Amino acid sequence: MTCVNGDVNDDAELENALRRAAELLDPVPASLMEVAVEAFRFRTVDAELAALTFDSMAGTAAVRGPAQARVLGFGGQEAGLDLEITAAGPSHRVVGQVTPPAHAVVEVRGDTPVSVTTDALGRFIVDRVPPGPLSFRCRVGDVVFTTEWVTV
Amino acid sequence: MTIPDAPDVRACRVDIDSTGALFQAAAKGDAAAWEALVGRLSPLVWSVVRSHRLIDADAHEVFQTTWFRLADNLTRIKEPDKVGSWLASTARHECLKVIRGSRRVVPTSDVDVLSPEADDRSPEQAVLDAEEAAGQEAALRRVWQAYEQLSDSCRRLLRVLMASPPPSYAEIAAGLGIAIGSIGPTRGRCLGHLRRLLT
Repeated sequence: MTCVNGDVNDDAELENALRRAAELLDPVPASLMEVAVEAFRFRTVDAELAALTFDSMAGTAAVRGPAQARVLGFGGQEAGLDLEITAAGPSHRVVGQVTPPAHAVVEVRGDTPVSVTTDALGRFIVDRVPPGPLSFRCRVGDVVFTTEWVTV
Repeated sequence: MTIPDAPDVRACRVDIDSTGALFQAAAKGDAAAWEALVGRLSPLVWSVVRSHRLIDADAHEVFQTTWFRLADNLTRIKEPDKVGSWLASTARHECLKVIRGSRRVVPTSDVDVLSPEADDRSPEQAVLDAEEAAGQEAALRRVWQAYEQLSDSCRRLLRVLMASPPPSYAEIAAGLGIAIGSIGPTRGRCLGHLRRLLT
């Protein structure tokens, strides 16, 4: 396949100058590349993936202010998770409930996972959740599922 | 003005099959393949995020969410060759969600805002620096400044187009939510504008 001809070549040359300018002036931050590489280590391999089924921030009436809680719902085949996320200083407070209500162990996924045990109705609170992508791993009886990652 | 030599153009880009092969190896648990995949497709994801002009903190979050999602979906994606489009599309949807929720976008831009920290340089930049290429660098800065003067729609397209290695039109379309057929004409028009700004 040839790479050149007439005006196309001029455009290709200019596009490539842009590419080199972007590499120089707006490259992918190295720290982000490292985080992406790390993601492989805490990926979910066998657990069921619960998809985002409700997001108060989706749609035209979306709001995300400091006083507003964001409400998220995740649904798997046998169980799901409802979350209410509020900003608390630089971090977040997450109030959640496993559905259908049942005793469960819930883990905030990430480099340093944090585990909490719910009450008999599947309710839990996690404070000081750092900003960044958020996902939970839940164990309800024999069922294990993880929620789809969301940006909060 | 003189634009530095162009060592690579679209038609000579990296073999798509090898991206699919890396993906399949990663799906089977090969961490090195995953790392190579991150290296190859991160500029595409970053370009899609940048084209949506989020503030830095949001841009960083969306980039991470996009890759975390791919890691969780390694064994679920059925078309390994289209992993670039999958990433571009995922990044776009996350950007739109953040924009809808906050409208925290960069209102105007300048080179200073977008310039990386000195300790956060990519290997490419380090190489460029080492080239003792002050003249080249100045030329590239002029190109970048001219790019910043383009219309929103031109900046959006060109920012994705300038990912390295050059993205396919399918990946660009996925990252911007536009028809593949509209890319060529818009690219030509925007590069024409850019050229006039540079002469």
